[in-house]
Amino acid sequence: MTFAALGLFLAAIVVLMTGFPVAFALAGTALLFAFGGIALGVFDATFLTSMPNRLFGIMNNDTLVAVPLFVFMGITLERARIAESLLDSLSKLFGQRSGGLGIAVLIVGMLLAASTGIVGATVVTMGLLSLPTMIKRGYSPAVATGTICASGTLGQIIPPSIVLVLLGDVLSSAYQQAQLAQGNFSPKTVSVGDLFAGALLPGLALVGLYLIWLLFVAWRDPAAMPPPAPSDSKARVSAGEILRALLAPLLLIGAVLGAILSGKATPTEAAGVGAAGALILAMLRGALTLETLRDIMQRTTRVTSMVFMILIGASVFALVFRGYDGDVVVHDMLTQLPGGVVGAFIVVMLIMFVLGFVLDFIEITFVVVPIVGPVLLAMGLDPIWLGVMIAINLQTSFLTPPFGFALFYLRGVAPDSIRTTDIYRGVMPFIAIQLLMLGILAAFPALATWLPGVIYGS
Amino acid sequence: MLARLDRISDFVGRCVAWLTLLMVVNTVFVIVGRDLFGFGRIWMQELTTWMHAAVFLLGAAYTLRHDEHVRVDVFYGRLSHVRKAWVDLIGTLVLLAPVCIVILLQSWDYVFGPRGSWASVETSSQAGGLPFPAYPLLKSFMLLMPALLLLQGAVNAARAWSTIRNKDAAT
Repeated sequence: MTFAALGLFLAAIVVLMTGFPVAFALAGTALLFAFGGIALGVFDATFLTSMPNRLFGIMNNDTLVAVPLFVFMGITLERARIAESLLDSLSKLFGQRSGGLGIAVLIVGMLLAASTGIVGATVVTMGLLSLPTMIKRGYSPAVATGTICASGTLGQIIPPSIVLVLLGDVLSSAYQQAQLAQGNFSPKTVSVGDLFAGALLPGLALVGLYLIWLLFVAWRDPAAMPPPAPSDSKARVSAGEILRALLAPLLLIGAVLGAILSGKATPTEAAGVGAAGALILAMLRGALTLETLRDIMQRTTRVTSMVFMILIGASVFALVFRGYDGDVVVHDMLTQLPGGVVGAFIVVMLIMFVLGFVLDFIEITFVVVPIVGPVLLAMGLDPIWLGVMIAINLQTSFLTPPFGFALFYLRGVAPDSIRTTDIYRGVMPFIAIQLLMLGILAAFPALATWLPGVIYGS
Repeated sequence: MLARLDRISDFVGRCVAWLTLLMVVNTVFVIVGRDLFGFGRIWMQELTTWMHAAVFLLGAAYTLRHDEHVRVDVFYGRLSHVRKAWVDLIGTLVLLAPVCIVILLQSWDYVFGPRGSWASVETSSQAGGLPFPAYPLLKSFMLLMPALLLLQGAVNAARAWSTIRNKDAAT
């Protein structure tokens, strides 16, 4: 049965590449394998009877209710044009110096964390918002595109990002499973809040490293990131204007994050309050009409449905994969690798890195993590550290030429005057920073595990 | 005809979309009630989860109608209209339809069977949770979801087929 399980995995990847919607491609391929197995008498049809229970488990998952609420918040902030005004006021604040606009883009990328969690969406938004201005200012195309790709993917690993909610939920059940398998019947738990806390310092450290790199470029080669021409009078603003544009969104995101990290609210509650706050913010800015509200609700519905149909598809896939003893196969393969837990971990990270070329964060979280997570965690890895490593690893994958998602999406919105090789050259230093960060985290796991321990005492 | 069927998905989708706003309002209500007035009801918390499940189940066909179920578009994005139509036609028949039919068949007894949710007058597993018929109704959406998806899938397949045929007619 080893071959059937591996065949299913490979077949699913091939079917996904055809471009049919992921949710149905995953579930459909798995069901075709199940039908084949039943016909040949090698697959137990009773596996499929647990489908309704699985489905209801997804419907009744309290943690994941945070997802639509965060999506609602993100889309509302987008419709209120928060990102535009943030970028506008930040670039006025820093923009007088060389490198200032690049730093403004980086900070907006960091704050856009509550986006939909789809790499494409943030990179496209950032690209449309900032690339034309940067090019007009005379930024080198490589520096401009590299900064946008890196900043656009940054939002994924900085809480409160939606993919961290999903990853936290999947890791939490993987961790339970790992401990139960070892005979520990009162398992320790890991929550979405833990993962938020764990990702905060590494995420900010990445921002810091990006910032240092941009400052270095601006110092060494000011012509690559020039300040605006002195005649550009629009570029001067009062401190009050900057404060107004910055204060409200910063307060909102700060409050949401603070409520979760201080343990005062669950991620779901914080997301609900954040969404309500975003609505009020949009109203104060005069951006909330009935038409806008409808659009926010309908887009939230579509994004939520998309995410959860993938989850349903992935759980059907997992069901059939288990039916073919795929979990046993993966367990045996990973535990027999040379180098023990380190070897297994490195192999998993490499596989995820390669899968990141074709699959988005959500799919990898739902399909790969449930399969490999319990094995790695049973081998003694810390769940929070593992989650943060996975997140940074995937972000690196999205940036890596020639297949990285972020590059494709930026290419799609960049003018023809920017060569693809410019984009490739531009992301190289950021990839180096990502790898450096992975190395730092591997050497000092406390960077991820210290804060959750302090906050939640776990 | 096809446009009329589209409108079914759209109508259902636009209706459940309002639930996202109600989720936000209800979440705030629960927190304010609990923290300021010491007023907490289990069923109010369950209501957010209930609405969330209703949104993604009943929004699935609506999302399909707007082609917003994520695709891996590394190759798909570069295909011609006709090739895309072939992917959509075959995918709908071989992948989407079987998935929906299996979910329908497997879930039928779970919801409507003699020991299913309606027959056993299922209520929340927690005391003070949502009353009957909240859960049987929600579980019925497990059947409505694949049914609506099949309908929208049929519309998409018909569209794909006409794209393919028009191309043949043109050459």
